[in-house]
Parts: sequence; structure tokens; C-alpha cells
Amino acid sequence: MKDQKERLRRTMMFVPGNNPAMVKDAGIFGADSIMFDLEDAVSITEKDAARYLVYEALRTIDYGDSELVVRINGLDTPYYKNDIKAMVKAGVDVIRLPKVESADMMKKLEKLVAEAEKEFGIEVGTTNLMAAIESAKGVINAYEIATSSDRMIGIALSAEDYTTDMKTHRYPDGQELLYARNVILHAARAAGIAAFDTVFTNMDDEEGFYRETELIHQLGFDGKSLVNPRQIEMVNKVYEPTKKEILNAQGVIAAIAEAKRKGSGVISMNGQMVDRPVLLRAERVMSLAAAANLVDEEENYIEK
Amino acid sequence: MEIKKTAIAGTLESSDVQIMLSTGSNGFEFDLESDVAKQFGDQIKETITKVLEMYNVKNAKIKVVDKGALDLVIKARAIAAVQRALDIVDAPKWEVLK
Amino acid sequence: MAERIQDIYLSNKSTKKEWMAFLKKRGIKNFAESETKLIEQTIGLFDDQDRLVATGSIANNVIKYVAVCDIVAQNKGARFNKIISEIESRLAQLNKFHYFVFTKPKYQTSFEYIGFKTLAATEFGVILEKGTPNIDDYLAGIPRFDAGNKIASIVMNANPFTNGHRYLVEKAAKENDYVYVFVVKQDASLFKTAERLELVKEGTADLENVAVINGGDYMVSFVSFPAYFIKNTDKIIKYQTLLDARIFRTQIIKPLGITSRYLGNEPLSHTTNLYNEALQKEMGAEIDVVIVDRLEVDKEVVSATKVREAIAEGDVNKCLKYIPSTTAAYITANLDRLQLRIKKGQRIDGN
Repeated sequence: MKDQKERLRRTMMFVPGNNPAMVKDAGIFGADSIMFDLEDAVSITEKDAARYLVYEALRTIDYGDSELVVRINGLDTPYYKNDIKAMVKAGVDVIRLPKVESADMMKKLEKLVAEAEKEFGIEVGTTNLMAAIESAKGVINAYEIATSSDRMIGIALSAEDYTTDMKTHRYPDGQELLYARNVILHAARAAGIAAFDTVFTNMDDEEGFYRETELIHQLGFDGKSLVNPRQIEMVNKVYEPTKKEILNAQGVIAAIAEAKRKGSGVISMNGQMVDRPVLLRAERVMSLAAAANLVDEEENYIEK
Repeated sequence: MEIKKTAIAGTLESSDVQIMLSTGSNGFEFDLESDVAKQFGDQIKETITKVLEMYNVKNAKIKVVDKGALDLVIKARAIAAVQRALDIVDAPKWEVLK
Repeated sequence: MAERIQDIYLSNKSTKKEWMAFLKKRGIKNFAESETKLIEQTIGLFDDQDRLVATGSIANNVIKYVAVCDIVAQNKGARFNKIISEIESRLAQLNKFHYFVFTKPKYQTSFEYIGFKTLAATEFGVILEKGTPNIDDYLAGIPRFDAGNKIASIVMNANPFTNGHRYLVEKAAKENDYVYVFVVKQDASLFKTAERLELVKEGTADLENVAVINGGDYMVSFVSFPAYFIKNTDKIIKYQTLLDARIFRTQIIKPLGITSRYLGNEPLSHTTNLYNEALQKEMGAEIDVVIVDRLEVDKEVVSATKVREAIAEGDVNKCLKYIPSTTAAYITANLDRLQLRIKKGQRIDGN
């Protein structure tokens, strides 16, 4: 599971679950995670059809290294049980539950997922979970949600419903989301899982998109939910490590190798002890660098 | 199984296929509209036929408008259409999903 | 990129105005109350700036008021397919799996491309259908007579069946080997479709070479010829009669081996006259179009209108000379019911 928890999740691209053209091509944009949507993007008359389409796509199409996520319908709808069964059977990486307000909701989901895994002969515990937080109550309970299950890989802020619940709407400067973002981020970090920021829907406001992405990058989010493949490159650019960060990370990794070679239990660099957070940070920088093609196979920095 | 009611699934959008199933009495009667009917018509029919057979449907009129759908899309739409036509939308036949 | 389908509520005046402006710009100009009041649902496709870029409506089993913004040409086909997909999905929700569209000739191929089949094309407009049961299914349900026979056809509303109708059928039966009598399916008259059909059957039961058939959606229906039921301008009547005549000529005649069509001369009905003219012009070269003078009793033409008037007045005796005994028996037994329909607003003039 460690590998699941540490993987890069800069971009989670939303794909309407009943749109064959988009489902078919979802893998070609290089999103870290692809989120097939059975919820808001699908009208109530097409819930069944979308479920089968996503099922067949997950079983058939090679989406490369992307993490495959499905947003199922909420626990307050008549659709979620069949959604869960179909997606577990399809072998999806992560089931994302919308409108989560409590740990109990995730526990209910976990129970159904485990039942489906048993029914379809899949090892119990295979399917990961994540929660979308879309209300004041969900924000208040963010930590209990984040720690509700060992299967949790992340929590996400969903701002449209959240701002409605807060009796406001979205503004360009994002002040209305500041509290929710920080709470969700802290809950995720404390639980050791990923934190995803909300979508940015105005496709024409590139400047606003960069401003928001830089903000959430600065805060410490793992990444952002996206509705347009065009935004993937933009997020990745913001998440590119600097040359200095890369060289420093390479130093840390070299120091570890050196200590190993010497058989030394203590790893030090520049006279400072290299502890676990430093190591994790270096590993993350290197995977970001590799994802951004900033290093070659031998981990040499490539000047752009 | 007998088709209980006419049902339609899928759309006319690019990469999709629209399938309409209705009661028939003479095996599978296909009516296929596709740009690629010449090259892929048989394959499209075969995919739909397989799905219908998994549901034990013996007779059906099948109207298909293909907009360049992949096989997996045809299969998914056929499943949705037959579940609707058999009036079992809320009770998917899990063993059909491979 | 994210264009969304939304409901358009025409009950909202400003919405309706915008919708009309969009359609007018694209050459659709008929917003007569008689047309728009039939609309049950209207949907629109809106771009990410909330501009209407495509629309379509449902009126019973007819797709109407379809228009697509084609400013960006490459989007046009996709938008068109999207709007029709949604309309078909809405129709399916209403349990309607067989539907029609009237459109301009230039859209014929767009509709054919998504599975619609042309029933009739004229220079003014095209009528297409899609779904099931379609015209092939309709024709498959009609008994066939061997080729080489003289096979006559008559289309009648028979509201109700009179001696005039009987006279026409009898004449055709005498002059031909077989006669198809198609009874108009549309339920828009004083006598319900089932009643009209039954009275025609009873009134012709003794004629062994006559087959009485429901005219379906393909003969003088709300689909093929709405002006038969709704008052309209000559221009629209001419367009519709031509379409109706063309459906008959191109879809019905050949499969059933029809060799003639019998029409009643209509000195009293302007619409029927225009219809007869259109039929003669359309199929006169292919089959015999026989126009039969109206039967007169006591120097007065026999007409169903007079029968309906007598019913309204509650004086059945007044019309007995115009109707066969089968029709008379039915009217007498159901006079109260028929009068109630008239009281409730069923019109008895027109057809």
C-alpha cells in the first residue's frame, strides 16, 4: 500500500462516464489519475448505461500508468450499490464517494466494497477508497473521514456544492475556500493520505487557473481535479521541481547510497542528519522530476 | 427470455452506437446504419448477438446506428439496451460482465 | 468544450422569445398557436457561455423545431447528433419508440445519417421516420392480394360511415378484383377510431372482396397531413397534401400492388378538394385515380357532416336516409355518449 499512498497525484482528470469518445481517449493525456464520473456528468436516465460503459472500458482499455478512479453515485441515490459492485468487479483502483460527511459513510462504503470483493472472488482490500468533501459538515469531520479506513488514499475538496452549502459561491481569489482547503489538507497529511483540490471550470481564464494551482501547490496539496485535458500540462508545470530542488534531492539519495556502502547506520549530508521526512521529500522531488522529464535514465538533470 | 418492451441505449455522438431492441419473432433481425457497415457490419452484429445470447434472447428486432463505436462500446450499449428491454435495469446480470 | 443539454420552458415568455429568435434566424418561421401548443418538451444545447447553440422539440410522436447553430462548421454535426440523441432518449422515457420528423430538404441526409428513413421527399419538405414499428412493419401486417389483380384503394375518415361511403366502396368493389379501405387512424373526430373502423367493417361486411385496414400513421394522419384536422393556409395544405400523396405513391402502392385509388368528389370541402387535386397530380401517371361524384338522396349530397349535425340536435331520424342500418343502430344505441362528446367541446364541423 505504501506505493499507493506515495504515488504522484498531481492531476485527476474528470471523464463523463457515458461519453464513449472521452472514455476511450482518457488515457492519452498523461493524467496521473483518471476519474470516470458516474455521478453528476450522467443524467439519471443513463446511470445504467454509463455503468456498463465504464465497466467495459476498465476491462478493455489500457490506460497506462494512470491511476483509475470512479466517482460513484452518492449513498442517498438508488444507484450506488450497483455502481460499487460493477466497479469492484471491473477492478478499479479507487472508488470515490461524493458528498461524504462522516466516517460512517466511508465505513458503509467499505463494507459494501468488501462484500463485492468476496462475491467476485477478488482479494478483500484490493479496492482503494477516497472521499469527496462537499459540505461544511464534511470539512468539520475531515480527519475522521480521512482516517475512516485503511483503504483511504485521499480526500478531495469539491467546491461547487461546498460554496452553496456555505451560502456563497466561488470567487476568483478563492478566499471562500481558504478554511476548507487548509482543514482538508491537514486532515490528509495527519492521516498520511493525498489531498486533492477542487476543479476550476472557467476554461477561458488561464491566468486564474495558474493562480489557483500555484496557491494549492504552495499550500501543499498533492494535486488538483481537472475537467479539461488541456489543464494537465498547466498543473504539471506548476508542480515541476526546480533545478536546485532536484540537485538537493540527488544529494540526499547519494548520501544514503554512500551510508549503505559504508554500512553506516547514520545517514548524514552536509553535516546534518538525513531523517525520514527529508528522505521522503527527496523521493517525491525525484518522482516529480522524472514525471516532468527533468532527469534522464541515469538521473542526470536535463537543462530545458 | 422474451423482450418485454422496446428499449434504446446509446447515443448518436461520435464513437458511440445507438441500439434499439424490440420484440421479434424471426431470430435476430438487424437494421444497421453505419459508415463502416461494409468492413465492420458483421463484427458489430456479432458483438450484439453475443450479448443477446448471454441473456438467452432468441428473437429481436435490432436497429443499430453506429457512429464509429469500439467493440467495447457496442457491448456496453447492447447490455444496457437488453437490460432495459427485459425490464431488469435495477438487477444487472453480473455473470454477463466478463 | 462542455456543452450542456438543458430544458427550455416555453411557458417563460422571454425564454420563448429567445428560442423563437434562434429558430427564425435559421429559417423556421411558423409559430402559429395551433403548432406551438402541441409542443410537449423543448430542449436546448448551450455552450460554456450559456448561449443556445441547438434546439429541438417533441410534439406527440413528431420531432419539431430542430435547429443548430453552424457558425463553427465542424461543431454542427456533433451538435445536431447530440440534440437528436437527447430527443430520442426523452421519447424513449415517454415510451415512444417510433417517431417522425418534417424537415427542410437540406437536412434530409443529416437525419438519414442517424438512422431516419425517408418516407417522402418534396421540394418543400421531407418527412422521415425512425424506430419501431415502422412502415415495413405496418405493411407486413396488411393482407396481400395476388399481383395481376385489379386492386383499388380508398382512404376515408368515415366520421361516421354513410351511404355515401358505402356507394364509393361498392363501386370500387364492382369495378375491381379487390378493394383496400384504409380508415384514418387519427383520433380527432366525433367518432373514435375504433368506432369508425368498426362501422366501416360492419357497413361493408357483405362485400367479400373488401379489406378494411387501419390507415396507421401513413395516411391522412396528424403526422402526414395535420391540416386535415387543423385549419390552415392553402400553402400549408398544399405542402401537406403533396407529402401525404407522395407517401402513398412511394410507400404504399407498390408493396400492396394497388392499381387505382377512388376518391369522393367534394363540392363542400375546400381542403378535401385540394387533397384530391394533389392525389391526382401525384399518382395519376402511375395508377388510375377515379373521382366519383357524390351520392345524392332527394337531390341532396350525402355527407357525414349532416349526420353529425343530426346527432348534435338529437334528431337521428333526420339523418337515417344518409346512413346504413349498421351505423344507424350504433348511433341510436350511443346517442347520449356522442352528444356528451359534443357538449364537452368536440367539434362537428370540419372532418
